[in-house]
Amino acid sequence: MKISIRDAGEIKIVEIEGDVDLGTSPDLRRTLFDALLHTSKVALNLGAIRYIDSSGIATLIEVLKHSQSRNKEFVLFGLSPAVQHVFHLTHVIRIFQVFQTEEEALASA
Amino acid sequence: MSSPNPSAPSCLHLKFAMPSDPRYLPVVRGAIGPLASAIGWDESDCLSITLALDEALANIIRHAYHNRADGLIELECRTSGDELEVTLLDHGDAPDKTKICARAVACDQIGGRGTHIIKEVMDTVSYQETPAGNRFVATKRLRRTL
Repeated sequence: MKISIRDAGEIKIVEIEGDVDLGTSPDLRRTLFDALLHTSKVALNLGAIRYIDSSGIATLIEVLKHSQSRNKEFVLFGLSPAVQHVFHLTHVIRIFQVFQTEEEALASA
Repeated sequence: MSSPNPSAPSCLHLKFAMPSDPRYLPVVRGAIGPLASAIGWDESDCLSITLALDEALANIIRHAYHNRADGLIELECRTSGDELEVTLLDHGDAPDKTKICARAVACDQIGGRGTHIIKEVMDTVSYQETPAGNRFVATKRLRRTL
C-alpha cells in the first residue's frame, strides 16, 4: 500500500493505492490520525484501492469517530469498485460522507 | 496421443502452509480469487469469497496467534463440481465459539465484522477443536442460473 498526502488550501487530501488489510491498515490509521492533528478536514481518495478488508473498514470508522469527537471533517471520495463492494457488504456506506470526485469532496461543508 | 493419467486428480486441490504473518495475506488472496473464478463465480462473488477467507486468516493471526508472526496456518482448498471447500488449520488459541457472531454489528461499530462477513458470504461455516489443531471449514456452492 502506498500513501501520499497533499494540501488543498486548509484541507489535507490523503491518497492510498493498493491493498488495505490487517498488515497495512495500521499505517493508514497512523497517517489519518496524524493528518487530522494538523487540519480541520481530511479527504481520503479511495479510487486506487484494489482491496479492503474489515480491518480497513474498522480503521475508517475509528478515524470518522475521532474526527467527529473533535468537530473535524473526514470525507471519502472516488470509491473504487472493490471498496464499494465491501462497503455495501458490510452496510457501512451510510455512515460516511462519500463523494464521487475530489472537487465535490473539497466543496462539502 | 497419451492416455489420461489415472493418478491425476479430477478436481483442484490447493494446499498452502503459511506463517501467521499478514505480509502473506496478499499471496493467498491472489490464489483464491482466480480459483473461485475458475469454478464459475462472477467478479463480485470472487471478491466476496476472497474477502471471507482473508477474514478467516486474519482472525487466526489476531486471535489464535495474538499477532505473533511465527505461527503455522495450513490452508486447503478443494473444488468438487460446483462447490468450493476451504479448510484452515492452526495451532494457536481456540476460538470462543460463544462469541462468534454472537451479536449484530452496528453500522458505526469499529470492529467485529470479520465473522459476520464470513457467515454472510459462505454457505456453511464450522469451527472445530481437533487433536490436529483448530479447524475452520467453509463451503460455498455455485448456483448456476439457466
